[in-house]
Amino acid sequence: MSVPVSIHAVTKIYRTKDGAVPALGPIDLEIASGRFVSLVGPSGCGKSTLLLMIAGLLDPTEGEISVAGHVVDRPQTDIGIVFQGNVLVDWRDALGNVLLQVEMRGLPRRTYEPRARDLLASVGLSGFERRYPHELSGGMQQRTAFCRALIHDPPLILMDEPLGALDAMTREQLRSDLERLWMAGRKTVVFVTHSIEEAVQLSDDVIVISPRPGTLVERIAVELPRPRTLEIRQGPEFQNLVGDIKRIFTSYGVI
Amino acid sequence: MSERVIAGPPEGRNWTAEILTPLLFAVAIFAAWEGAVWLFKIPLYIVPPPSDIFSQFVRKFPRIWDYTLVTGSETLAGFAVAILIGVPLALVVAFSSFLRRTFYPLAVTLEMVPKIVFAPIFVTWFGFGFLPKILIVFLVCFFPILLNGILAFTSLSVELARFCASTGAGPLKTFFKVRLPAALPQLFVGLKGAAVNATVGATISEWIGGDAGLGYYIQIAAGDLFMDLAFAIIIMLATLGLLLFWLVVLAERLLIPWHVSQRLPSQRL
Repeated sequence: MSVPVSIHAVTKIYRTKDGAVPALGPIDLEIASGRFVSLVGPSGCGKSTLLLMIAGLLDPTEGEISVAGHVVDRPQTDIGIVFQGNVLVDWRDALGNVLLQVEMRGLPRRTYEPRARDLLASVGLSGFERRYPHELSGGMQQRTAFCRALIHDPPLILMDEPLGALDAMTREQLRSDLERLWMAGRKTVVFVTHSIEEAVQLSDDVIVISPRPGTLVERIAVELPRPRTLEIRQGPEFQNLVGDIKRIFTSYGVI
Repeated sequence: MSERVIAGPPEGRNWTAEILTPLLFAVAIFAAWEGAVWLFKIPLYIVPPPSDIFSQFVRKFPRIWDYTLVTGSETLAGFAVAILIGVPLALVVAFSSFLRRTFYPLAVTLEMVPKIVFAPIFVTWFGFGFLPKILIVFLVCFFPILLNGILAFTSLSVELARFCASTGAGPLKTFFKVRLPAALPQLFVGLKGAAVNATVGATISEWIGGDAGLGYYIQIAAGDLFMDLAFAIIIMLATLGLLLFWLVVLAERLLIPWHVSQRLPSQRL
């Protein structure tokens, strides 16, 4: 199961001692059920803010967000969430970290343990279930975090630059892992990134956001076949899309 | 974040490097001390040789032991009360923005006061007995525990706090499954600081107004120029302090074996 997300006239203004700082919007966006949607924009454009508002962890200053037709007015629990780092707990091994999601929700640990092991195996972590975070590489830690966001089968997955802290080669691997995981479940995904290639490779729709205060500049549909192999990524269609998006940012003076 | 995974099997404890070398070093220091006293003909009432100190330690052991029990129980009691009050109070302050604005600055200010200045006041109030000593130990232990405790309970990463919120877990479950274990390493920083302070507090408070205990005894010994006895008492005090510290370290090993401070040097990334 997956759910649609609807963002209507949302703005976010931060009140600081130097006065009001408009961070985002107004922004309107409809995300259809089961789509993989990326929010791409320069640092500080409010894309992470928007993600947190969808999660109900931050309130919009104006406007309204609804998930599956229900207005978001508190922290959403029917979601899986992945951040750039700092989310695994040091005192649990990989399996324990995945099952933390289950325990926090009061779900039966024993029922979910086989699924947790399967998920870890599906991202190449079989044999690493009993390793603690400090015994895992950064890429392995992030793979574990993906599994934890998926274990309870949420209809909506929110990811805030989940590959941002990784080196280039690990990033490439994890992009493929992520695409494979998504293709297996076809959940609605909102994915925040500042990497244009990453957005085009993973997404059905790339939402291009302007520098602060972020507004929707363009919505670009990526209609390339999946999985997006190296061949596809090197092909003219892929490269044209990347070029189009880069030109938008160039016109804003960002790159 | 490091991309490396530990390569090869982790090394076990290296007994030669970790036990034997420091032990030999200590023996060498004592030998040099003994030799220097003999060589430079230093008077016994200035610096006694280690051999005298050890024989005095053995000879006066019954009295040293009695006073060790006195100082030890003051230390333990004050330390325990500081934990029992400091940790829950830290928790309350951490989660109350009102107390963080009011009580926290007051606690930081009081932390700057040398706690031992209260000893004469406590003697006036409560006499020469057990209670004023426990109060001083409590005071010197309380602030490191409280301040590190507040830091411990407020330092959960934003990301982890958001993850917890997204699971819909209640505050109690979030506390026991995430906040408390996440706070333990910093909590132990405070406990170790307090353990170091505890014997100091007990000794000095006995010194200022006491009729028993190792602090009282060393004052008499040094006053009468029994330096060998004074050093023997120092050895006992050092042992007492180490025991308390090891007790805390043992608890730390048992409770947070996963923390980076508990790894062998070869396992640290």
